[in-house]
Amino acid sequence: MAMIEVRNITKAFGNLVVLKNFSVDFDQSGVTVILGPSGTGKSTLLRCINGLETIDSGDILVDGLSVREKKNLKDIRIKCGMVFQQTILFPHLDVLENLVISPIKILGRPRNEAIEQAKELLNKVGLIDKLHSKHNELSGGEQQRIAIARAMMMNPKALLLDEITSALDPEMSTEVLKIIEKLAQDGVVMLIVTHEIPFARRIASRVLFLEYGSVVSDTSNEEFFTTVKEDNERIARFIQNIHH
Amino acid sequence: MFEQYLSLTHYDIFFFLKAIGMTLWITLVSITIGTLIGIVMGLIRCSKNRIVAAIPLIYIEPLRNSPLVTQLFLTYYGLPVVANIVLDAEAAAIITLSLNTGAFFSVLVHSAVKAIPKLQWEAGFALGHNRYSNFRNIIAPQVLRLLIPSAITLYINQLQVSSFVSLISLIDLTKAGHILTLRTMRPFLIYGIVFVLYFAISYPLSKLAQRLEKKVAFNF
Ligand SMILES: Nc1ncnc2c1ncn2[C@@H]1O[C@H](COP(=O)(O)OP(=O)(O)OP(=O)(O)O)[C@@H](O)[C@H]1O
Ligand SMILES: [Mg+2]
Repeated sequence: MAMIEVRNITKAFGNLVVLKNFSVDFDQSGVTVILGPSGTGKSTLLRCINGLETIDSGDILVDGLSVREKKNLKDIRIKCGMVFQQTILFPHLDVLENLVISPIKILGRPRNEAIEQAKELLNKVGLIDKLHSKHNELSGGEQQRIAIARAMMMNPKALLLDEITSALDPEMSTEVLKIIEKLAQDGVVMLIVTHEIPFARRIASRVLFLEYGSVVSDTSNEEFFTTVKEDNERIARFIQNIHH
Repeated sequence: MFEQYLSLTHYDIFFFLKAIGMTLWITLVSITIGTLIGIVMGLIRCSKNRIVAAIPLIYIEPLRNSPLVTQLFLTYYGLPVVANIVLDAEAAAIITLSLNTGAFFSVLVHSAVKAIPKLQWEAGFALGHNRYSNFRNIIAPQVLRLLIPSAITLYINQLQVSSFVSLISLIDLTKAGHILTLRTMRPFLIYGIVFVLYFAISYPLSKLAQRLEKKVAFNF
């Protein structure tokens, strides 16, 4: 059984059908990079997986739990951590509290244990010295690294990352992407929506190319950047355009 | 000597003190009750169900859009006639000011909750919080910070409009000024003192509100 099974889902906003009879599976290993032009439903797909958007038909199972059942949402969201394009730290809390509040309140973890884990994760993202900083004392890249650490605090089975560097300038993106590569080496399962092609090429084990809400290509990394790219003119153009 | 200059007797000073006590009592009780009403009504205003969210408007809008004096007269003189409820002036004052404060406070609560970006909610949900836990642990503390400065400003305003209770023959600070003026025939002095007393309570509070406002301002 795949860890995330998207089964024939349809998602529309009013008259705009974003995902139509859409199916895809994600195994419990590796990094899947999701590419595709703007407005094709990449964010919508990730948001449907963790129940931030409700689906109109079909079903999504995360570890066998259906997103259609409200009572599953908590478990699904714990299993699938998500980081967004905009950096969203909780502004009334310092970095450490941003990290520990959810494991303490939701998972009922003891505070000192949560703090230990928070320190480990902050070390990993290179921000242990920012333990007590507030969000407005941090750069965009630092905030995003903390948001990643915060998601990891719930010990998710997978991370859903939606263009987490596209609001950052290049230098800051590099910092953030490095962290993601480190996590990938540690074996964290990730679904990554990104426009950073070189990064995708380095990190992906699987590449999914979406257009108009359906899967145009679903291959391994090597295959995508060699055969698929050469055979499919639109994909080739997409990659070309994004480089500039 | 000072007292002679003001031609005030010890009794007058005592009278003034009692009047300040009345003003503070009426104000404190009614802003406390009003805050509680405002929190409840304000949160109902935030309901996802549009009809439920609109219900508090039946209470809020009339009170925000009519003079407090009229509301006071309605309670004090009107209620006994139509409902056979006779209230003493103090009760009428407290009830009216509480409801009035509650109406304004609901709006503060509602707009503070609305001012929290939707993304804050989403970030909480994405971590696994349910609606209640999200509100309790992530949204409410932010709402509170946004709310405090504007709440203080409202409280100061309610202190000042509490002077209208002098019109239903309650001896608050303003009424005491009026009575003493009649006796001493020194309106500038007496109302000067009244003025200074209101100011002395309000001004530090408004400075505090300003400082808090700067301190708690987030840029999300
Ligand atoms: N809440 C919403 N209400 C209405 N329309 C929406 C909403 N969210 C997304 N859409 C629309 O759905 C379509 C798909 O949006 P989505 O954000 O999933 O695209 P995307 O592939 O992530 O694009 P991008 O690369 O620009 O982020 C777009 O046309 C978008 O305008
Ligand atoms: Mg998107």
